Amino acid sequence: MKKTLARKTPKFWGAPSFNVFVWLLLAVYLLPVAFMIVTAFMSTEQLEDERNTPLYPAKVVHFLYKGQDLKVYNVPTTNGVKQWALISPQIKPRDPGLMPAAENPPPDIKTGQFVDPQHPEAGVIAWRGDWNLLTASYEFSLAWDNFTVHAKALPIPRLFGNTLFMVIVTEIGVLLSSIVVAYGFARFPLPGGNLLFYILIATILIPEKITFLPTYFFYVAVPHWAGTMYPLIVPYFFGNAVYIFLLRQNFKGLPFDLEEAAMIDGAGPLRRLYSVVLPQSWAVIITVSILHFFYIWNETRQASIYLSTAKDLMPISFGMQLYQSLHPIQNVIEAFTILALAVPLILLFLSQRFFLQGILITGTENK
Amino acid sequence: MLTDSKSRKPHKKGLTPTQRRNRLWGLALISPWLIGMLGFKLAPVVATLILSFTNYPLLDPVGTEFIGLTNFINVFTDPKAWNAFFQTISLALIIIPVQITGSILFATILSHKGLKMKNTLRSLFFLPSIIPSVAAMFMFQGFLDPDIGWLDRLFLGPIGLGGLIDIYSADGVRTMFIVTSLWSIGPGFLIMMSALQSIPDEIHEAAQLDGANVLQHFFGITIPIISPAIFFSLVLNLTVVFGGAALYNPGDVLSTAASSLDGYLHYAIFDLQKLGYASSVSWTFFMFVMVIVLTLFGTAKYWVYFPDAERQL
Repeated sequence: MKKTLARKTPKFWGAPSFNVFVWLLLAVYLLPVAFMIVTAFMSTEQLEDERNTPLYPAKVVHFLYKGQDLKVYNVPTTNGVKQWALISPQIKPRDPGLMPAAENPPPDIKTGQFVDPQHPEAGVIAWRGDWNLLTASYEFSLAWDNFTVHAKALPIPRLFGNTLFMVIVTEIGVLLSSIVVAYGFARFPLPGGNLLFYILIATILIPEKITFLPTYFFYVAVPHWAGTMYPLIVPYFFGNAVYIFLLRQNFKGLPFDLEEAAMIDGAGPLRRLYSVVLPQSWAVIITVSILHFFYIWNETRQASIYLSTAKDLMPISFGMQLYQSLHPIQNVIEAFTILALAVPLILLFLSQRFFLQGILITGTENK
Repeated sequence: MLTDSKSRKPHKKGLTPTQRRNRLWGLALISPWLIGMLGFKLAPVVATLILSFTNYPLLDPVGTEFIGLTNFINVFTDPKAWNAFFQTISLALIIIPVQITGSILFATILSHKGLKMKNTLRSLFFLPSIIPSVAAMFMFQGFLDPDIGWLDRLFLGPIGLGGLIDIYSADGVRTMFIVTSLWSIGPGFLIMMSALQSIPDEIHEAAQLDGANVLQHFFGITIPIISPAIFFSLVLNLTVVFGGAALYNPGDVLSTAASSLDGYLHYAIFDLQKLGYASSVSWTFFMFVMVIVLTLFGTAKYWVYFPDAERQL
């Protein structure tokens, strides 16, 4: 089947050129991500230097001359641009007695003393020109400090632990409840017919803004849940409308014969769900659990509402966001993003076989 | 349905014992969601409605009194609130079509039969969607920054258009949100891809035998068959743009500059400290959203393809 179709593919979208096109498209699409990775390895010094720094992570070349740590600059000379280390910048003020009333006084004369790192024995070179306009000379260098120094400022293991705890507990809760509910919606007659199912869809669409205030006051006043993880965990034990919808669509698409046979053998609803439906639904269940994983891993909204005072319970996403807002420098921000993304990224590539085929929504529903 | 196999069309009240048992089982199975829906959705929505008829002040709840429709009348005469609605809805009207078109295009390209290494490519296209939205915002801010960003340094600078885009202006921020929304289409992309793969090969072959060209094939066959997926995607996108939370975490991205509504609610709650008024603002907006949603559901039967007679969703 596949072979006949491949043969019929229109020629102008021939396979090799089309493959190249897709990889090019991907390269453009991932360019911001590449920028993020490269920037994460840049030093703050490089980011703050506004003058034509390299696009790759680099640091200013330094040269040790007679015990002095000197910065190397690109110096234009009559023999081309030289990489010289600046020893001492000097400003020779213009003669104050000359033309005191001139509206446009001539600029101060700037000179600099340089040394050539290639030939330090040649001694000091005098250069006349504005050293303020010189660009620093850079060499490739990865700023691992962004990952190490700043990461040490945060209790990373504890933040990871908190997130992991939340992921595991809510994953169990949301999967158990959503699977059971979805099975109910897929196979059982319900009072009111489809009305309850429409309500399920409608609840997906209720903006969080409208439920936020009463929910917050209730959590704080009645069970005293401010500063605890409960508001971030308990609601998931009542299912999630989106997951229920996805699972229901999948369950509806399964052939009914096996379930019928199990029913004749005397299997109750839960037994049928467990031994007949679940074994046929791994792809969608894995998809839902991974989507939930990404969701919880990145969750900051609820955490910022209920955990901003509970430093010990913060998840990694919120802890990093707090730190990023205190240190708004691109390289630190990007380094933290990469740290926080490591686990979801590994999961994405490990699970791609199931994950990428798990959401099926069609109008066709086998019965 | 289970009951149909036992006995066809019972009398109105006369349910057979099997039917009654199945009905109870159905209710029991969906009860976790039912309880959660009543407790976590319906109750807060009603509470917000009650709150919106009061003048509930944030710091002095004792002085609360019912003030009838005053809050709602104020919302309708408040140009700032209207502006917030307008900004939020107009942004949604641009972002949602961009995201849906983008996810269909990417899914179509990545389902192409001649493509090698499909799984790797799909994972890589999905990758930006797992970046939390706040981090993605910083990423794009850096990428588009006139000093350090690659857009200016690699592309616009060399052709003499450097510094053209001011990402720090209000228009710049909105444009950034629209363009960057293409980098968070992962779930929609997955949905579209599964839908495309579910189209039986025979249908494609039949179309090719009948001599349909690429565009006829795409708009006449592919789009109608995947229309249920488009519809569901639309529902999800609406949710995210209007401030719900589904499948991916909106974080705070739509909070201040781009979503004026969140910004305005924040202002009403914490600066004006008028909780009653904030509640009526969100309820008015909720009614807007519901009108849009009901229109969508009401018209679904005209443009969403439902092959089975049951016509569910």
